[in-house]
Amino acid sequence: MIFRQILLQIFHKFKQERTISAPFHLLRGKRSGQTIQDVGIFQLHMYFGILPKLSRKTYDEEISKLIEEQYMTVSDEGYYILTAKAKEMNQTVDLPFNGWQYRGNEHLFFARLSLVIQSLSHKAYNQMSFLPIQKDPQVQEWVRKFLISHHYQERDLQQQLYEEIIVSLEQAPIEQHAKVIVMKRLTGYKIAGYTWQQLSIYENKSEMDIQFIYIACLHAWLNGITDKESQFPLLAAIAEQVRVAMPLSGSAYQTAQLFQQGYSIEQISQYRKLKRSTIEDHIVEIAMNNPRFDIRSFITEEEIHQVVNAVDDYNTRKLKILHEVMPNLSYFQIRLVLARGETV
Amino acid sequence: MEIEKILKERFGFSTFRPGQKEVIEQVMGGNDVIALLPTGMGKSLCYQLPGYIFNQPVLIISPLLSLMQDQVDQMKQFKEKRVVALNSFMNPEQKKQTIYHLEQYRFIFISPEMLIQPQVQQKLNTLPLALIVVDEAHCISQWGFDFRPDYLKIGELFGNHRPPILALSATATSKVLKDIEVYLNMSQPYKYIHSVDRPNIHLAKYSFLEKEDKLDWILRHVLETEGPGIIYTQSRSKTESISELLLQHGIAAASYHGGKDQLDRQFIQQQYIDDSLDWIVATNAFGMGVHKPNVRQIIHETIPGNMANYMQEIGRAGRDGKDAVAILLYAERDEEFAKFVGIDDLPNDHHIELYETYQLRQEPPNQMIQNGEISETSFRVLQYWMTQKSANEVKELFQTMKYEKMHEVDEVMKLVKTECCMREILVQYFGQELETKPTNCCTSCGLTLENLLLPRQQKDHVVEETPWQKRVAKILGIS
Repeated sequence: MIFRQILLQIFHKFKQERTISAPFHLLRGKRSGQTIQDVGIFQLHMYFGILPKLSRKTYDEEISKLIEEQYMTVSDEGYYILTAKAKEMNQTVDLPFNGWQYRGNEHLFFARLSLVIQSLSHKAYNQMSFLPIQKDPQVQEWVRKFLISHHYQERDLQQQLYEEIIVSLEQAPIEQHAKVIVMKRLTGYKIAGYTWQQLSIYENKSEMDIQFIYIACLHAWLNGITDKESQFPLLAAIAEQVRVAMPLSGSAYQTAQLFQQGYSIEQISQYRKLKRSTIEDHIVEIAMNNPRFDIRSFITEEEIHQVVNAVDDYNTRKLKILHEVMPNLSYFQIRLVLARGETV
Repeated sequence: MEIEKILKERFGFSTFRPGQKEVIEQVMGGNDVIALLPTGMGKSLCYQLPGYIFNQPVLIISPLLSLMQDQVDQMKQFKEKRVVALNSFMNPEQKKQTIYHLEQYRFIFISPEMLIQPQVQQKLNTLPLALIVVDEAHCISQWGFDFRPDYLKIGELFGNHRPPILALSATATSKVLKDIEVYLNMSQPYKYIHSVDRPNIHLAKYSFLEKEDKLDWILRHVLETEGPGIIYTQSRSKTESISELLLQHGIAAASYHGGKDQLDRQFIQQQYIDDSLDWIVATNAFGMGVHKPNVRQIIHETIPGNMANYMQEIGRAGRDGKDAVAILLYAERDEEFAKFVGIDDLPNDHHIELYETYQLRQEPPNQMIQNGEISETSFRVLQYWMTQKSANEVKELFQTMKYEKMHEVDEVMKLVKTECCMREILVQYFGQELETKPTNCCTSCGLTLENLLLPRQQKDHVVEETPWQKRVAKILGIS
């Protein structure tokens, strides 16, 4: 059910101006210029990359159901039209996703946390050897270093971690059931975690819905931890580099640095041996991510207003139409304005 | 040093299990050894113990990555720090570091793919290896159920001046044993062949007209008799649907297959070992590395692809030596599905032609994997043979393998159709003779399940309803 609600909500936000595949790329967090720009244009930050492993099959199945049950129709070119039924259904999903800033890294946070807790649990019960629940050698190494640097042998680390978890998770703005789900995924000495199948039975929801709630809960919890690092030093350390501060793709980041040093698009394109259009994609991505980035070096104030007015007048964000209305502006210039989304 | 003393001090056992001592003595004497020991009979001790006498590295080649990690974790759990697994889970930097410091380790686990890499080879040549262990050695045989082409290269890699090789397997026919000896270039190996028969596992079978009847039978059986048990089936979706059926009837069951979330798989293993789960509904992905002594029942919802798999799967019951039952269910035409599954991952003529097209276009054939034209396992086999033989020969070879796989299913069908002793057929398949039959031997010899299984104890299946705060407190030992 949650999956369907999220999909309908995304389709609404896309204003029927993208194809049926656009939500798929958004949910998987595809790092292409188009998807990244759409996040800004249609204000879809919360859903970006919340399902990095979503399979096309699962997605298509859900879409087929939406079509079958007459929530939408799809044209031959792959564009969709929502029906009245879908428009009535448009209630907001009240799960506090923050996909844009975590991008699947919440799973890294939980992997570290669960291994730290498993270790401290065994220590608390004087069992110094156990099979680690997390198999990734990098996570194991990270946790080993964390425990040693926090002198877990000499002091009562579990007490402090316990208190941090209780206080921070209680503050997280999400219902208790979600917190139960997250805590039931933990394991300890002689205490096994619960599988998705089991949680789905206990909570009487589908496995996929359980996972959505789980992800939203981790996002809400992480927001609190990273906002108040000094209050939760242990959890903040475990959340190290989990939140993306300046969410730029690696390549866009390099472009950003060169641009800051004063190079032009043309120069960067030659220097990096990349197409001009790729560098333009990067600039749009930077404009979207950094509200202080001044787009007026590419487009005049007057032209910006022209675009904003056209978006209003024609009630569209389709580039092709906007370009027809304003042939004096390049696609790149129009995209720059759109990238600012509602902040323009 | 006396090996009994090390057994006691290092491993905490006062006596060897059958075969262990013979194998260790032969290895210590510098001889090549092939040891066929059923799972759960302490295979790994056969190389771990010598490792403490040699004081030189022991190299263990193992094809199953997850199992390798389990073994390393378990050895670390028993305070062995000088153990490492060299496999594709490592990032390039970790790999480089590990190879550089390789001589520091007493036990080096390695995957066949990693073994053939030049930088690994180079390093291994400089190490004074005391012993080379080839685990799951049946993978070397193309007639084995789990052929790994890279295994064929092991023999060539080490040349004449090599330490003794210890080849280990749980299930191998005489044909496969011969392949192990030949391809590993072993010189007159000592062979320890433990009987594959497990007298405390009683063999039952039931035939049905319709597939759905099997589900009714399973449900009734599971509601009436006591576990713990494993239900093996052939598809992932079936593990889900059957486990849901059982859950709806209040049975503590879980589904398990290779596509499950990594944490889920461990939760299930842990819960099963803790006895909080009674039944696992699984594909053949479940079992390796799960050490649970009190499994009482194995049910095959449909016939497995070959006798080796069947043997391995029923072998997970009754490790504690107490009575256990293995129940084989069959509905008309189940063999057709088993054959289909069996040959499904063999490369076909179309794959061979595609491979050639890629070569003609001077594109790397492994693009086939990325383009979704072939599975990774199929490609591995295809690539090996395409570098060895002409396309037509390869076509012929796969045709032969296809028949072989179908024939394997027919072998399993003998168990279903026979009116002779099932145990005898099973043991003879592995080229051995059955010496004695236990009472309640099998359906053909006469067996009453009621004599072997306890009636189900109705346990109140309480759902933990504690608030999350209490769960954290309990895990962290905070009162």
